Amino acid sequence: MRVYLSYAFKETFANLWRNRLMTIAAILTVAVSLSLVGSALLLKQSAAQASASWQQGTRVTVWMQPHASTGEISTVKTQLSQLPIVKSCVFFSQLQDYNEAAGILPPAEFQVLKPVDMPTSFRCTPTVPVDAFTVISTFDHQPGVFKVTAPSQQIRQMNRAIRILQVVFLALAMVLLLSAMVLILNTIRMAIFARRREVSVMKLVGATNWFIRVPYITEGFIQGLLGSAVAMGAVWALHTWYPLHNEFALNTAKLWGTNTVVLAVGVMIGSVGSAIAIRRFLDV
Amino acid sequence: MIRFENVSKTYKNGTTALAHISVDIDKGEFVFLVGASGSGKTTFLRLLLREELPDQGRILEAGRDIGALPKWRVPYLRRNIGCVFQDFRLLPNKTVFENVAFALEVIGRPRSTVDHQVPQILDLVGLGGKSKNLPSELSGGEQQRVAVARAFVNRPLILLADEPTGNLDPTNSESIMALLERINRTGTTVVMATHDKTLVDRMRRRVIELDRGELIRDQVRGVYGVEEGLAS
Repeated sequence: MRVYLSYAFKETFANLWRNRLMTIAAILTVAVSLSLVGSALLLKQSAAQASASWQQGTRVTVWMQPHASTGEISTVKTQLSQLPIVKSCVFFSQLQDYNEAAGILPPAEFQVLKPVDMPTSFRCTPTVPVDAFTVISTFDHQPGVFKVTAPSQQIRQMNRAIRILQVVFLALAMVLLLSAMVLILNTIRMAIFARRREVSVMKLVGATNWFIRVPYITEGFIQGLLGSAVAMGAVWALHTWYPLHNEFALNTAKLWGTNTVVLAVGVMIGSVGSAIAIRRFLDV
Repeated sequence: MIRFENVSKTYKNGTTALAHISVDIDKGEFVFLVGASGSGKTTFLRLLLREELPDQGRILEAGRDIGALPKWRVPYLRRNIGCVFQDFRLLPNKTVFENVAFALEVIGRPRSTVDHQVPQILDLVGLGGKSKNLPSELSGGEQQRVAVARAFVNRPLILLADEPTGNLDPTNSESIMALLERINRTGTTVVMATHDKTLVDRMRRRVIELDRGELIRDQVRGVYGVEEGLAS
């Protein structure tokens, strides 16, 4: 057994080294495609998480003009309190909105803001989330009102954007995974061709089929493994330096869950690629 | 040791390679397989290696029907059969020692066995001093001796040789022949397909002659060909 393992190990690395250019190409293709798969998975999970946290408090925000008169503000306030579809409203002063903006905007943008530039706003909870749209249409063009926004709209748009991104990512990833598998298959085929003399002698002197096959299977396996290792790094990097808002940030358990999938897929395409190559080109 | 029972083999393209062959070869025998090209000699050897299966009949080796052997047992069958070919089939990037050691390594023999047996067999074939050379640095006769060493290092019960002297000059042919004879004396059954009339006539061993797949002669102390013998 020990003899065998050292033999298989030696052969595997000799093969990998002999075809190093092809090996690198295969590993990179696996890495790129799995990075896409991992990112798509991560994106899907964040979107689910973020929209869940948003929907808990669907709120309509009526933004007043920064220089709206007190009269205009109190008119809006009265109207809001009289609307049956609005459960409750909270008034945010310019300073409160300013402080909130401090937490959301990038520092560079925030620095140019002064509390006077900030609009005041009413944060209202509709009785039913769908009523948010009625609130929007009612107040959108009122004097003194700057804009009425409801996150449900944004959530819907965001979710749509994320879904499209996901489909694109996954479609790309599928094509790339397929090409990665073909590349692995081809490296193994080249390795087999390079050693066909050895293989014929091995068959002649009675080496078992598995003895002959294992180095090639391990070769594909290792290519898949290395490719997915690179992809796991990319997914980790994406998770660590997340380009999206905090609400999207996922915990480490979800990161490692995603990376486990990435690893499993990588190892699988490596093994399947070499298995096909062995079936087609290694006649033992 | 080897028994053909009414064996026939027809290839897919319709050529009949062997037709109703029945032969018994005892343990320790030395047999020449003669006949024109295409007479079925190589098929005979391939069937023994179970590279082909007969369409009809049975082939027994050491009492076992090799046709009934499951596929995964075939490598173990081949460990008992050594093989030598006209074109040597050595690995060009391995030294003499490595070429012979390879046959032991790939059947999982431990390093200690390899280090013990390879020098021994190389001494037997007279190449003890060339174990670090590459095949390309050897003469044809020496290369064939390496091939014989590789075939015999695992001490098989049967040694098959497919025109082993086909590429060699008479002197080297003689030395390979002497080597096969020596191996035969250790109790190994040797089956040698050949066109080398001089060798066969001089050795006076059992001769099996095939002609278009049929066994036309089986002589205990035969010569290469009766007609040719008369003509010369």
